[in-house]
Amino acid sequence: MKNIFLIGWHTLTKPSGYYSLGALVIGGFIAGIIFWGGFNTALEVTNTEAFCISCHEMENNVYEELKTTIHFSNGSGVRATCPDCHVPHKWTDKIARKMQASKEVWGTIFGTINTREKFLVHRKRLAQNEWDRLKANDSLECRNCHDFDYMDFTEQSERAAYQHSTALASGEKTCIDCHKGIAHQLPDMKGVEGW
Amino acid sequence: MTINRREFIKANAIVAAAAVAGVSVPAVASNLITSSDITKLKWDKAPCRFCGTGCSINVGVMDGKIVATHGDIKSPVNKGLSCVKGYFLSKIMYGKDRLTTPLLRMTNGKYDKEGEFTPISWDQAFNVMAEKAKDALKKDGPTAVGMFGSGQWTVQEGYAALKLMKAGFRTNNIDPNARHCMASAVGGFIRTFGIDEPMGCYDDLEAADAFVLWGSNMAEMHPILWTRLTDRRLSAPHVKVAVLSTFEHRSFDLADNGMIFTPQTDLAILNYIAHYIIETGRVNKDFINKHTNFRLGETDIGYGLRPEHPLEQKAKNNGKTKGSSTPIDFDEYAKFVSTYTAEYTSKLSGVPEHKLKELAELYADPKIKVTSFWTMGFNQHTRGVWANNLVYNIHLLTGKISTPGNSPFSLTGQPSACGTAREVGTFSHRLPADLVVANPKHRAIAEKIWDLPEGTIPAKPGYHAVLQNRMLKDGKLNFYWVQCNNNMQAAANINEEAYPGYRNPKNFIVVSDPYPTVTAQAADLILPTAMWVEKEGVYGNAERRTQSWYQMVEAPSGAKSDMWQLVEFSKRFKVEDVWPEELIAKKPDVRGKTLFEILYKDAAVGKFSLDEIPEDRLNDESRDFGFYIQKGLFEEYASFGRGHAHDLAPYDRYHKERGLRWPVVNGKETKWRFKEGSDPYVKPGSGWDFYGKPDGRAIIFALPYEPAAESPDEEYDLWLSTGRVLEHWHSGSMTQRVPELYKAMPDALVYMHPEDAKKRNMRRGDLVKLISRRGEVQTRVETRGRNKPPKGLVYMPWFDASRLVNKVTLDATDPLSKETDYKKCAIKIVKV
Amino acid sequence: MKKLQLTSIAGLIVLVFMSVLTPLIATAADKAEINTVATLRDHTEITSQKEPDRIPQVINKDIKQARSYPMQPPVIPHTTRSYEVNKNNNKCMSCHSRHRTEQSQAPMVSVTHFMNRDGNFLAEISPRRYFCNQCHVTQVDAEPLVENTFTDMHSLMKKKASTSEKH
Repeated sequence: MKNIFLIGWHTLTKPSGYYSLGALVIGGFIAGIIFWGGFNTALEVTNTEAFCISCHEMENNVYEELKTTIHFSNGSGVRATCPDCHVPHKWTDKIARKMQASKEVWGTIFGTINTREKFLVHRKRLAQNEWDRLKANDSLECRNCHDFDYMDFTEQSERAAYQHSTALASGEKTCIDCHKGIAHQLPDMKGVEGW
Repeated sequence: MTINRREFIKANAIVAAAAVAGVSVPAVASNLITSSDITKLKWDKAPCRFCGTGCSINVGVMDGKIVATHGDIKSPVNKGLSCVKGYFLSKIMYGKDRLTTPLLRMTNGKYDKEGEFTPISWDQAFNVMAEKAKDALKKDGPTAVGMFGSGQWTVQEGYAALKLMKAGFRTNNIDPNARHCMASAVGGFIRTFGIDEPMGCYDDLEAADAFVLWGSNMAEMHPILWTRLTDRRLSAPHVKVAVLSTFEHRSFDLADNGMIFTPQTDLAILNYIAHYIIETGRVNKDFINKHTNFRLGETDIGYGLRPEHPLEQKAKNNGKTKGSSTPIDFDEYAKFVSTYTAEYTSKLSGVPEHKLKELAELYADPKIKVTSFWTMGFNQHTRGVWANNLVYNIHLLTGKISTPGNSPFSLTGQPSACGTAREVGTFSHRLPADLVVANPKHRAIAEKIWDLPEGTIPAKPGYHAVLQNRMLKDGKLNFYWVQCNNNMQAAANINEEAYPGYRNPKNFIVVSDPYPTVTAQAADLILPTAMWVEKEGVYGNAERRTQSWYQMVEAPSGAKSDMWQLVEFSKRFKVEDVWPEELIAKKPDVRGKTLFEILYKDAAVGKFSLDEIPEDRLNDESRDFGFYIQKGLFEEYASFGRGHAHDLAPYDRYHKERGLRWPVVNGKETKWRFKEGSDPYVKPGSGWDFYGKPDGRAIIFALPYEPAAESPDEEYDLWLSTGRVLEHWHSGSMTQRVPELYKAMPDALVYMHPEDAKKRNMRRGDLVKLISRRGEVQTRVETRGRNKPPKGLVYMPWFDASRLVNKVTLDATDPLSKETDYKKCAIKIVKV
Repeated sequence: MKKLQLTSIAGLIVLVFMSVLTPLIATAADKAEINTVATLRDHTEITSQKEPDRIPQVINKDIKQARSYPMQPPVIPHTTRSYEVNKNNNKCMSCHSRHRTEQSQAPMVSVTHFMNRDGNFLAEISPRRYFCNQCHVTQVDAEPLVENTFTDMHSLMKKKASTSEKH
């Protein structure tokens, strides 16, 4: 057993005496694809709603709240899943977000928010993170679906049409400035601008 | 943009509105009317027609029509506020289908049970009624006659009805719809304190540090009390609110500790709190030693179903012992509740232990002044009296009672459930001022006040609400008069118990109502009825506040008040028609007289002259009968309670006040009963005095958790809870006719958890059938409404006349209070 | 051809009789209304049930509805789905509070909302008025089952004003 391990170790550490550079490059490329694909596939698995709500913190709090909202159930049946709003689509941003999210694994293990009460205690901070992120990227995840260029104001209520054609059009406001708490319940909004 | 948004919307709105109205907009608006004799409104006060909160309403009248209503700023109850229903009171009398003529089922000009409703005159109506009543009396005696009344009757109407039934027809078969509403609260009060109605008052709302809602959705059912509670919670940040329910509702919006528990386990939670108080050494020893006794209650008492029901056969103490109990001591009580540990209770109820502890601490902490509120969650419960007893236990163990902010407080649902049903005693077993028919001394008191011979009032309690429906079905109750309620919609188990009784060919059913309700539809004779400020009256609210109002407008021609109907009907009976000769012989001067003369005109009722009515006031009934009948009925009734801790002020004073809380002694109202310094009936030096009991001690009862009558199983896999909504009052017969209220909440939907819907392949809006062992009702699914039931339970309100959820409910009742449990039965839901 | 003639004759007969029959039909209908009385049940027998209507839509047109009298709380002319009004926030006030109305152009809550129980004005909405939905409700696109004959005070005043002008 030990021998096998040592052989493997030597093979890996010694310069190649058997394979041509080309083979190595091609092999490396293929291996790269496999690993990369595997990594990305794994990453994509973590990027599904099923994965998100596999921990009860998510399932019993934010997901339960989502169920009654328009982002879950609506006329056209187009619905938003967790990653649609919470995970950036651009790869580098996604990786950055995923690295941040790895903290949540610790949270689960140590039970940081394993009860509703604990969740509510942290809710303001958690919500603020998301608002800050969306504010910074000009509500990118909203705009992935809700593209300003294609909004038909005549189909909107007058209030909505007015605000979208002025504040949103001029860039004075971004989606998240007004549309807070649209998919989950709000924290205590004391001190939040506009409340 | 050259036009700003406001102008844009305004212009559009005007054009749209003008287009709807089909008119063009004039360049200049017409002149404003400013002449004060044209713009003047006549304002007057009246208690709200709806719930038991008892808000005072300012009613604006112009040209004999009610044109505006709003909350009375002078009323201590609501201080100018009103809920959405209250604001629309001005429209409840103007539904286009107001009844204006008696309607009798007839074929070829003659009464026929299977005939069609045909307009007849009042004279004809009373003729056929009197004939049917006399037939029933002759054939089977007084027990064949009965009446189903109301906590919406005025005090005077209730009193006139009680006297007509118990003394005139000599039957105790009179019961109010309040039986469905707060009979368990009454049972709790009488059992624990020996005297009915809350010790505290609404002032507790501004004094408490914590509120606990036990099965009460105050945000929807008592909105104005909720505004006071909200005011207190939000303006004093140390205040805490705990809300318990079997599903999440609007009151949870303010909850610091919201708890969803498995139906029926509230009994266990209450015992856990008692155990927690004892375990943590926070019992107020001095208080319990001086002011309480401990007793162990009888258990396994059945579920108030028909005797042949398997559950009744199985119950050991079904109906035989009437809730008897044996004395125990504190240690035995402590041992009894010790089985209700946090772990056991949490497992049983589904409420996490830390939440239970947080709740218990509100009661246990001697520094926290705590007020408990409950309504139908406790009262409509097969162990409703127990639930009431158990909540008193925890207030008594800690001595948190009868002082500002420390208050176990039972709320009521009807405007005069307290004033009329309970204080007047329009129940099958009661008489005014907490007297009962079974007690010979009590009967003697009533007979003396009424100046009637001994033995007039029958000793045996009559049929209560649920039993009335059963006796109708069994053909034992044959002449039946329903006033001021909608029991065909409200009673449980319509298919098996309510409907067959009304349509039983042996029976004649009279229904008095302003509108053609579901109950009217099931009747043989419908009497068009005047309502609210179309008559003068008195209501009593949940904090013992008695409030009066004057008649403000004329009823639609042909409609008559319940009181007029009762008193006018009594003219049709000579005493010989209804009393046996030996009773008449005891008081020969009644010979040849009508019940009208004996009970009203020649009694104390008839001694106030029309001159006492202000000349500019309407009063159709008094001017018709020739004496100030509302005052007469009130004063005679008030003589029962004066000097017996139920004192009412002189009638005229109520017209000047925004109500007074009884007992009113030396002109002063009472805020907190049983406490020295605030209740004049408390013996000096006693501190507290629960004088309803002979030894002045309230009782702490050892009572266990027992399961519900019907729980979900494999086939009927869901709990069904029924209840009310903010926008409609009870069966909706008034509010469904107000366009704004109808359009706010037109239909009763079934509120389900989204997962429960998904599991059954249903979604919001789907047409579904709710099926129980007794019947079915169709409605549509709501998965994201204001009520959020947990998985395994659904909620459907009962206000909707077109979707009768009571076809599905079970008529299981509390064997002690005879109040039906509308909150628990097992159903299944299938797609249509 | 013969058939056609027969139909046209039948048609004529119907036309002639219609004028006679119409009042009869109308009274029969009225009688049916009385006989089944249940207006809120659309005249359905208690033992059966009419198929429930679909869940109506909330009216979302932002057009103010006239109040029935000055003290009537205005109804909400827009949807309020997922609007939270709870211990943590009051979504309604993010448009209707005094300092938000310039941005939102929504009507400001009336001054009565600043009064506490004793009638004193506070610097903010009184907490007793916190839960807007106790008085203000949305409206759905359903037609009321029964007409309401409530009289607007304005129509009474106009009538009086015009009669006093004539005199």
